[in-house]
Amino acid sequence: MVANTDVNLTRQGYQTRVGHRFFALALVAVLLLISFLVDLTNGPGNFPLPMVLETLMDRNAHGVQMEVIIWDYRLPVAVTAILVGGLLALSGAQMQTVLNNPLAEPFTLGVSSAASFGAALAIVLGWSIVPGIGYMLVTVNAFVFALLTCGFILIATRVKGVGTETMVLFGIAIFFTFNAALALMQYMSSEDQLARIVFWMMGSLARASWEKIALGAILLSLALPYSLFRTWQLTALRMGDDTALSLGIDVARLRVEMLIVISILAATAVAFVGTVGFIGLVGPHIARLIVGEDQRFFLPLSVLVGALVLSLTSLASKMITPGVIYPIGIITALIGVPVFVSLILSSRRERLS
Amino acid sequence: MSSLNITDLNAGYGKVTILKGITLSDVKPGEFVGLIGPNASGKSTLFKSIAGIVRPRTGTIRLGDIDLVTAGRAQRSRRVAYMPQAYGCNAVLSVFECILLALKQASRWRVSSDDLDRVADILVELELSHLADKGISQLSGGQAQMVAVAQTLVRQPDLVLLDEPTSALDLHHQLSILATVRRVMKQRGTIVIAALHDLNLAAQFCDRLVLLGSGEILADGPPGKVLALSSIEEIYRVKTTLEQTRRNTFYVDARLSA
Repeated sequence: MVANTDVNLTRQGYQTRVGHRFFALALVAVLLLISFLVDLTNGPGNFPLPMVLETLMDRNAHGVQMEVIIWDYRLPVAVTAILVGGLLALSGAQMQTVLNNPLAEPFTLGVSSAASFGAALAIVLGWSIVPGIGYMLVTVNAFVFALLTCGFILIATRVKGVGTETMVLFGIAIFFTFNAALALMQYMSSEDQLARIVFWMMGSLARASWEKIALGAILLSLALPYSLFRTWQLTALRMGDDTALSLGIDVARLRVEMLIVISILAATAVAFVGTVGFIGLVGPHIARLIVGEDQRFFLPLSVLVGALVLSLTSLASKMITPGVIYPIGIITALIGVPVFVSLILSSRRERLS
Repeated sequence: MSSLNITDLNAGYGKVTILKGITLSDVKPGEFVGLIGPNASGKSTLFKSIAGIVRPRTGTIRLGDIDLVTAGRAQRSRRVAYMPQAYGCNAVLSVFECILLALKQASRWRVSSDDLDRVADILVELELSHLADKGISQLSGGQAQMVAVAQTLVRQPDLVLLDEPTSALDLHHQLSILATVRRVMKQRGTIVIAALHDLNLAAQFCDRLVLLGSGEILADGPPGKVLALSSIEEIYRVKTTLEQTRRNTFYVDARLSA
């Protein structure tokens, strides 16, 4: 028989690692909570911290004005930042796993530009795929176009497989197609409509509402447990299709199921806040560096990091110029592009070595 | 313990037929079978058919009391472990995690203490425990191949299929991987079928050799008998002389035929 001490040492090495991972999850959760509270206390008005906290505890503590500012404005924005950050990061993390491509996320695959086009179509022509939806027109149209694009990606993977280069090229093709269509919409629009389109494309948390928050929270609370249920299969998928198949996994079915989940997550997040690029890249990328790709830890940490990054972005958007709130899409792009480039450079290096 | 019987197996892709009436009888528990044959003779397709990745057109593959062709995915993957060719991945996973994930496919979601023991056991058994915390993408080709073997053995299957387990390895690792597999499978009474290009390795480690050519079984028997056949010369298009070594194994001396 093998030496028992060796077995125990090997076990302990892994258990220590798992301990570190729970600690990382807890740490990021605490940071997220802090960021959330700081986000709430910052913004136009410069109200003192106790006043904000007291209004949070008791709606009527400081009169109607404070109640409206905190409960109708700051709280929905702060919660939406966390929720959308989580949704984008979860869909990005799963896209990267399922498509076996570290560059995949809603923005790079063109889902965001499709949503922008859908929104522009609603703004300019007042036309929607789903009739009779009133004030939700822009959001629903953005959602439907994002969903259609995800469907297209799904079909493309069925037909062409999931080669890294092919997928990114598909993304570029979708991106340019919808950008051209979007330019046409902008050309046809009135000055007022043009302003609305441009604002939509920049991605903003100002569109937050409690209905959207409820919907997003329900989605996240369904999608995350479902993905965790599939976690061993998803982790095995990272070993390559042949190995996954040999382990008894129905790879094709798993891929389709996950892409459907991803589509709904990504389309919802994008429809809520507009184009917010690279969160789906930055969140999973940081999570991967910390806990690796055991999906039991990778997925929850991706969600937490994505939420933290977008929450910090929301804070930054208020702090750059006091009194002005910049669209977050601009800030995430500025943070995300360096990460994107570093990812391309590192994957290039791997392929060469 | 279950023996393996393959009867009249036909398989292929699209319009192309690769395997033509493969019949392989009575492979006993604890038997190490070497699958030899030139490139494109159907070795990988045979493995994929047994592992359920390619669906055979006709024929049966019986392992004990179940037919692997009609068995469900879960049932099949509990009994059969297949190590694909050209192993390699860029996942950010440690060696321990890679083996754990192979084990966890067929059991409950939670990682039990018993699971950790089984993974640690196989790592120690295959002398990989010093690599347990290393990243899978940082390993050398030989180390990665040992991890792949560990992924199949940790599941304690009745039948292990190894597609060219020695392809990326130097001489020492070729011998050590086959010796280790042989030691473990003899202890457990596992059937191992390994596709091997090196006839001398096959002669040294296998109890039985199966020669595959153009999707048919051309010979089946103990190494000394199969390697002595003139069909070896025909199928590999070489001249061979079979010599017996002092350790009572066989050595194939091959030259290009004129």
